Amino acid sequence: MSATDTIFALSSPAGESALAIIRLSGPLCVSLQSELTNRNKPLKKRHATLCKYFSINGLELDSGIFLYYPNGDSFTGEAMLEFMSHGNPLIVQNIIEDLLQRGLRLADPGEFTKRAFLNGKMDLSQAEAVADIIHARSHYSLEVARKQLAGSIGTKMSELTDELLEIIAEIEAYIDFPEEDLPMQDPKGPVKRIQNLIHEISRLIDTNQYSALLHDGIKTLIIGAPNAGKSSLINCLVGSQRAIVSDIPGTTRDFISSFIMLDSFRIEITDTAGLHATTDQLEQKGIQKTLEQAHSADFFLLILDGTQSPPQIPPEITALLTNENCIVLENKIDLGNCKEHSHFLKELPHSRISITEGIGIDEFKQAWAKRIEKTISLPKSSDAIVLNARHTQAITASHRALTSALQKIDSQDFSEFICVDLRAAIDGFSEVVGKIDNEAMLDKLFANFCIGK
Amino acid sequence: MSHKVTFNLNQEYDVIVCGAGHAGCEAALAAARRGASTLLLTGNLDTIAQMSCNPAIGGQAKGHMVREIDALGGEMAINTDTTAIQFRLLNASKGPAVQAPRAQCDKKAYQFRMKQAIEWQENLLLFQAMVQSLIYKDGKVTGVRTNLDLEFKAKSVIVTTGTFLRGLMHVGQNQNEGGRMGDFTVKGLSQSFLDAGIALERLKTGTPARILANTIDFSQLEEQKGDEDPTFFAFYDTRSSEELFHVEQPGESRLGWEPGSEQVSCWMTYTGEKTQQVIKDNLHLSPIYSGEIVGRGPRYCPSIEDKIVRFSDKDRHMLFLEPEGRHTNEWYINGLSTSLPFEVQIDMLRSIKGLENVHILRPAYAVEYDFAPPTQLFASLESKKVENLFFAGQINGTSGYEEAAGQGLLAGVNAVQKIRGEEPLILGRDECYIGVLVDDLVTKGTQEPYRMFSSRAEHRLLFNHTSAELRLLKYAKQYGLLPESRIKAIEEKQSVIHHWVERAESEGNAGTTYAVQLRRSRNEADLPKALESHSKDLRREVFYQIAFKGYLEREAKQVEKLRHIDKIKVPQSIDYQSVKGLRAESAEKLAQIRPSTLGQASRISGVNPADISILMVYIEASLREKANKSR
Repeated sequence: MSATDTIFALSSPAGESALAIIRLSGPLCVSLQSELTNRNKPLKKRHATLCKYFSINGLELDSGIFLYYPNGDSFTGEAMLEFMSHGNPLIVQNIIEDLLQRGLRLADPGEFTKRAFLNGKMDLSQAEAVADIIHARSHYSLEVARKQLAGSIGTKMSELTDELLEIIAEIEAYIDFPEEDLPMQDPKGPVKRIQNLIHEISRLIDTNQYSALLHDGIKTLIIGAPNAGKSSLINCLVGSQRAIVSDIPGTTRDFISSFIMLDSFRIEITDTAGLHATTDQLEQKGIQKTLEQAHSADFFLLILDGTQSPPQIPPEITALLTNENCIVLENKIDLGNCKEHSHFLKELPHSRISITEGIGIDEFKQAWAKRIEKTISLPKSSDAIVLNARHTQAITASHRALTSALQKIDSQDFSEFICVDLRAAIDGFSEVVGKIDNEAMLDKLFANFCIGK
Repeated sequence: MSHKVTFNLNQEYDVIVCGAGHAGCEAALAAARRGASTLLLTGNLDTIAQMSCNPAIGGQAKGHMVREIDALGGEMAINTDTTAIQFRLLNASKGPAVQAPRAQCDKKAYQFRMKQAIEWQENLLLFQAMVQSLIYKDGKVTGVRTNLDLEFKAKSVIVTTGTFLRGLMHVGQNQNEGGRMGDFTVKGLSQSFLDAGIALERLKTGTPARILANTIDFSQLEEQKGDEDPTFFAFYDTRSSEELFHVEQPGESRLGWEPGSEQVSCWMTYTGEKTQQVIKDNLHLSPIYSGEIVGRGPRYCPSIEDKIVRFSDKDRHMLFLEPEGRHTNEWYINGLSTSLPFEVQIDMLRSIKGLENVHILRPAYAVEYDFAPPTQLFASLESKKVENLFFAGQINGTSGYEEAAGQGLLAGVNAVQKIRGEEPLILGRDECYIGVLVDDLVTKGTQEPYRMFSSRAEHRLLFNHTSAELRLLKYAKQYGLLPESRIKAIEEKQSVIHHWVERAESEGNAGTTYAVQLRRSRNEADLPKALESHSKDLRREVFYQIAFKGYLEREAKQVEKLRHIDKIKVPQSIDYQSVKGLRAESAEKLAQIRPSTLGQASRISGVNPADISILMVYIEASLREKANKSR
């Protein structure tokens, strides 16, 4: 790979539209701004200019707005050029062919952001946020991604690093200045602070579980006896949202998943095989699969046929159901022979509905959303940080190192060995955002201790 | 014994060393010991190897460096052992890696012995002369000119001028030219560097007052004695007695005392409330606070006025009173460096417990001086601007006798390597403190007088002081820094250590191995009895390697992981501006530092991992291109 070539991409969706935006980044942009426009003087930087687009053969391909960003003052940090052409796919096609002829290369997915990162325009967590913003599927995940782009993870890591550097500086002061008149060293001194750090890191690591929630949605399983109304529930929930729902055929399983939005939550609903005691081998297999599904589910909707006596639910499944992650839906309340079933799994919340008549559905949805909000307890958006797998791996190493440091402090090991762990923990933080210089530690040391006997 | 070098004004020397402080002495000795004809010039023969500040050598990280200097054939360690009047092992309650020897020296005895070592050294000629300018030709240095207009020709020149370049001393509002109180300043040489395009900047340091011991009331002070069982700096288990007394002359010890015997105590006292008041009342008279001093001072050695301003909640500051020698009543007050006016100094000192009637022999003062930012040097300590010109010591922005001596030794070795057309000696930052020192200096430069701390060395667990000889053996061998007999003795010592470290894993008593026992007890007394006949250094080393094996292995693995990037050489001819994809900021930094390895490049602040990947690709591509061309 060479990072020296100039790349381009169609940045607006393909197809007919009012405008199409073609983005270029790399050293060639400097000369292209005049070559494409046939102008003698360069474009005014960061300024919209109406120009004609000329191909390498001198043909006029279109006219539109050109924007030139000089080296160092653009999204990628390189010289960039943007052209807003008319949104005709034929025009776009001509321009793409022309740029290829001029020796430019079509950008790989995410390459503009990658260059921005490589050129120091953003830290790694910010770069990751760019992709998240583009792909965010709920208001909440959009919010998280926006915060991350603004540097929320970087800020958090700096906070943690700062605190840890202070702890290290304190220990190092006693190693490097053994004859200084420092306050008596408490061998257990930093224990509380390290414990707090570990606690904070654990909390951050826990947010990783939301990473999947944000990107894939909250996994919700619909269980119930055959004909209790599972399919009609899905149709009822999905129906009004046809436009933004895509059906994913279960490729490795015999389940159908659909995605819906419940308030700001993205929810993946999965239907299951009917639950009833059976000796049928095929049915047995279905129940087995339901069990597997249940173990990775975040939420359950247990639907009952109000006109029937409650079904036998396998104990392996009832063991998974809690007041927080399940709602029992008593369906068919519009029918005369419908009975109350509040005594059934009575520790779980119940909603009485009729899917066919649309009774109680809105109330149920409100109760459902409220429950999700409470139980999934997404991190407050004030410090909306959700770590991805890479961050998690890095700070899990920090977590391990700090835990080991605590053990050493407890067993009164030598402070230079404790420092080895603490420094390893710093390395974990640096991996998320970038390297940390030892000078930062010395700054803290001299700021906090009167060194110089 | 007689010298092989005779004084001849027309002679071209292999190496000329300008300055005979701690850097200059090691530089001259290292060059001469490697067979190069060497001329050592100093402005004053009476101040060779002068301890301008406190009369102590060693301490945390510094003591380690002194042992490394010994392992590389330097003089500082043995010179300290034979002239020290108090020995202490610092951090004795912490792990072996951060335990460090420290010694109070007899200041005059130290100088006399070093002077004699130089006078006795073959190939080395000592001469009193102040160098006024350097002589350049075609971007190379070819000699020096002195204040008597004498010209000395040389194939290489090592500059070790300390704080003397445009030295300016401050006592209150009073300013005097000079690099050290009672001494001169050097003016012409700065211009000579500027002419060659070498940039200079200012730093500041300071030293406390010296006081008369018979006016100290010791009955009010706390005593600090030396260790009964002293830890020496030099390695004696690998030396023959001829090497031991090469200055004192074989067969005839002229030391006058057995090293480590008849130790002298230091004493502790504290500043009080009144001291704080005196300082606060007179702060406006301090040249630092009134803005006269522009050079930046060291944070680890602040003046007393600095301490009182910055740590106002601390109601007292500890002071150490240190004797300057056996034959003088002059004492040093560690912790009271200041540039307040002399009258204020008197009031301040007399406010201190035990010093109520003290007489000041020499006032405290601050000194500002020129230094040449060390990022202008290659890791060999040769100037990037002028060929065959080397820099070592405080001129490079460092502080401390040990830091200076380490650089001096390297510069001496490398000047000889250079004129012989051979590869320079570059010590890795994963091998020793001197390696960390040089790498930090040439890669990051310094904003304050640079002092070594153990926390600067990411692999300090491997740098325990007893392993210095073993760690550096390969260089001693490769560069001929030690006599054959000592190399052989170190190899033997190494195999004994190796033998016992292995044996301890399978042998032992009371149903457990020595290794398990030592790891549990962490007590040297649990070493196999058979080791009792060996030296203390050897036993400590065996103990460390067995008891902390897990840590050492993990550390060694870390080093191994990082080493490959330090092995990739960066061609000096690279035009960083033309390396496509490098950020402008990085290209600029890289062009300025011109790192010699990719590892060094990665440690330049502001150069990020992406830049390193780009550089790595570029280097590989250009190597491939070269290989294709030559085919």
